[in-house]
Amino acid sequence: MAYRLIVRRIWNAPVKDIRCPRLCASSASLFSRAPSPPVSVTSRRNVSFSVQDQEDFTERVINSNLPVLVDFHAHWCGPCKILGPRLEKAVAKQQGRVAMAKVDIDEHTDLAIEYGVSAVPTVIAMRGGDVIDQFVGIKDEEQLDSFVGKLIEQ
Amino acid sequence: MPPTGCNSGRDQIKSRIQELIDSSEVLVFSKSSCPYCVKVKDLFRELNVKYKVVELDLMDDGSGYQDMLLEMTGQKTVPNVFINKTHVGGCDKTMQAHQDGLLQQLLGGGEAYDYDLIVIGGGSGGLACSKEASLLGKKVMVLDYVVPTPKGTTWGLGGTCVNVGCIPKKLMHQTALLGTALQDARSFGWEFDENVKHNWETMKTAVNNYIGSLNWGYRVQLREKSVNYVNSFAEFVEPHKIKATNKRGKETFHTAAKFVLATGERPRYLGIPGDRELCITSDDLFSLPYCPGKTLVIGASYVALECAGFLAGLGLDVTVMVRSILLRGFDQDMANRAGEHMEAHGVTFVRKFVPTSVEELEKGTPGRLKVTAKSTESDEVFEGEYNTVLIAVGRDACTGTIGLDKVGVEVNKKNGKIPVNDEEQTNVPHIYAIGDILQGKWELTPVAIQAGKLLARRLFGGATLKCDYVNVPTTVFTPLEYGCCGLSEEKALEMYGQDNIEVYHSLFWPLEFTVPGRDNNRCYAKIICNKLDSDRVVGFHYLGPNAGEVTQGYGAAMKCGMTKEQLSGTIGIHPTCAEIYTTMEVTKSSGGDITQAGC
Repeated sequence: MAYRLIVRRIWNAPVKDIRCPRLCASSASLFSRAPSPPVSVTSRRNVSFSVQDQEDFTERVINSNLPVLVDFHAHWCGPCKILGPRLEKAVAKQQGRVAMAKVDIDEHTDLAIEYGVSAVPTVIAMRGGDVIDQFVGIKDEEQLDSFVGKLIEQ
Repeated sequence: MPPTGCNSGRDQIKSRIQELIDSSEVLVFSKSSCPYCVKVKDLFRELNVKYKVVELDLMDDGSGYQDMLLEMTGQKTVPNVFINKTHVGGCDKTMQAHQDGLLQQLLGGGEAYDYDLIVIGGGSGGLACSKEASLLGKKVMVLDYVVPTPKGTTWGLGGTCVNVGCIPKKLMHQTALLGTALQDARSFGWEFDENVKHNWETMKTAVNNYIGSLNWGYRVQLREKSVNYVNSFAEFVEPHKIKATNKRGKETFHTAAKFVLATGERPRYLGIPGDRELCITSDDLFSLPYCPGKTLVIGASYVALECAGFLAGLGLDVTVMVRSILLRGFDQDMANRAGEHMEAHGVTFVRKFVPTSVEELEKGTPGRLKVTAKSTESDEVFEGEYNTVLIAVGRDACTGTIGLDKVGVEVNKKNGKIPVNDEEQTNVPHIYAIGDILQGKWELTPVAIQAGKLLARRLFGGATLKCDYVNVPTTVFTPLEYGCCGLSEEKALEMYGQDNIEVYHSLFWPLEFTVPGRDNNRCYAKIICNKLDSDRVVGFHYLGPNAGEVTQGYGAAMKCGMTKEQLSGTIGIHPTCAEIYTTMEVTKSSGGDITQAGC
């Protein structure tokens, strides 16, 4: 249960603004004009997996050797439908250095409640069972690349 | 120095009393003629608890016992109650202990309960009550479980209003109003292609997505307020213990000092061949995966008329089958006007008929059904073919399968409703009830919320304020909306008599309707005043657009005791519909003309 405590502690800490600063976002948009290498459909299919239950979450997220992005989403949430594929694309660019788990909050309410999800989409970044970063709401591709990139650098 | 003999007598009495205290689970020192003693004994009998009585007036040394009791407990009066060796006190103390749940704890050998409060039902009332109790520092559990409809429809946390009532109903009513607005738009100069269609699935998905977000919101609120939520079906097994069964059939048991029943109601079926297998109810309609097509609505409840109204507003062929009257319990003058407006806008009414069978002619989404009905007045038989049959003939309280018989909660056998006192307490003092299951109370979400919140404050916050069930404003979202507050004309006549009431009324034509030239002399306003009480407004009725918005404000005024004079002294807002109430001069008794002259 130790990791849970750590998770809680991190969660309870004031949420820092992890959005890209304005400057960063605008400069990043300059690069967005450059053609990015297309991500093949097959590689994207394997980018994320849907969490089946609590046990599956422990095994594939908490005990994962890779950092994992957990996308808490709901079928009734419009922004989730936009964010999900964008996030997969950002993760795919890292070519296996980061994993992505999807949690339907209505199917796995206990997990969502445990991780303090109050609105969707909520994305948390985990490494070694600890929550190391998170955001709520939608982000553009550049912001997501930067979010995922930071996760690997750390 | 008193004689030793007397002293030994005192000792004897003392040891005899102590022996009684030590050997009895419940011990009542009483006098056979004392009404308070009878009350306490009745309580224990009601609780089905074995008790030992010592009638002091029927024994030789009763007064000696009474003196010794004074010495031992500081109490001279009877009854003097002991439970499991603990001195409880007299009648008032015992009743209070019962209310607080202390008595039950003492009876259970001092065993503590798992929770201070368990609420059965996660609808508007149950959620409000549990959140408030938790805010007051109590340990609270809420159990909520939706039994699927015969069609298999089920939904999330939040109860009827959020999932299969007010919320989807009003959104679908709005869908229909937009259709009317599209028609009006041409008169205002908007030009667009003729081809206007409605997509049921788009509407259904959008409405249900919003509901999904509300379900989640409620779940998060319960977490934030530290209410323990369990998605299980609750059933009493003992006065302070419930069995919770989840959807996988796993059973758990939980105890609490107090309980609140907030299980709500579900649509009633007709009990005719084909009803459960082939028909739907409002529980199914709002998440129906396909457009219902040609629809027969059975019933004339507000649910029936609202559903029929918006389905017709989407352009569907809709028939309403009515056994007797529209909107039973509402002002009949208003109900009939709302019905006439629906009829004028293409809804067919089949009056004085009751269905006898529903048969399937063809499967499909929707399929084809044949409905047979018989007249309530003659041998005439009605047959019709529909794609969908919606039953809306009333709702039954969900009180039959939650083990109330096991704990002795009184239930009205006719309709499953629960009688409560003015503090929402059932006949079993530690069990309370709120919301739609209450006998003779409003079936409205805001009423349940108010009752639940105030109940929690009284139970755990030392408050005394009770829920006021008088002058509750409400609105029926028929195509032409009907808002009301206070008494119907029928009820006012019955209460005050024809001579003592004055009814002011007027037809009106909303400005927005004038340019498209529709529905003149349909909208109607009426107030009922009590002549014996300064012409105080005791009934408010409005048939027109935005009835909810109009009625809410006048509801507040009625709560403050608004009189006709004050209403006439109020400046209207021009041009609005609500302003009509500030200038009402024609009384119904005068027979004066109230029609609006159109150009």
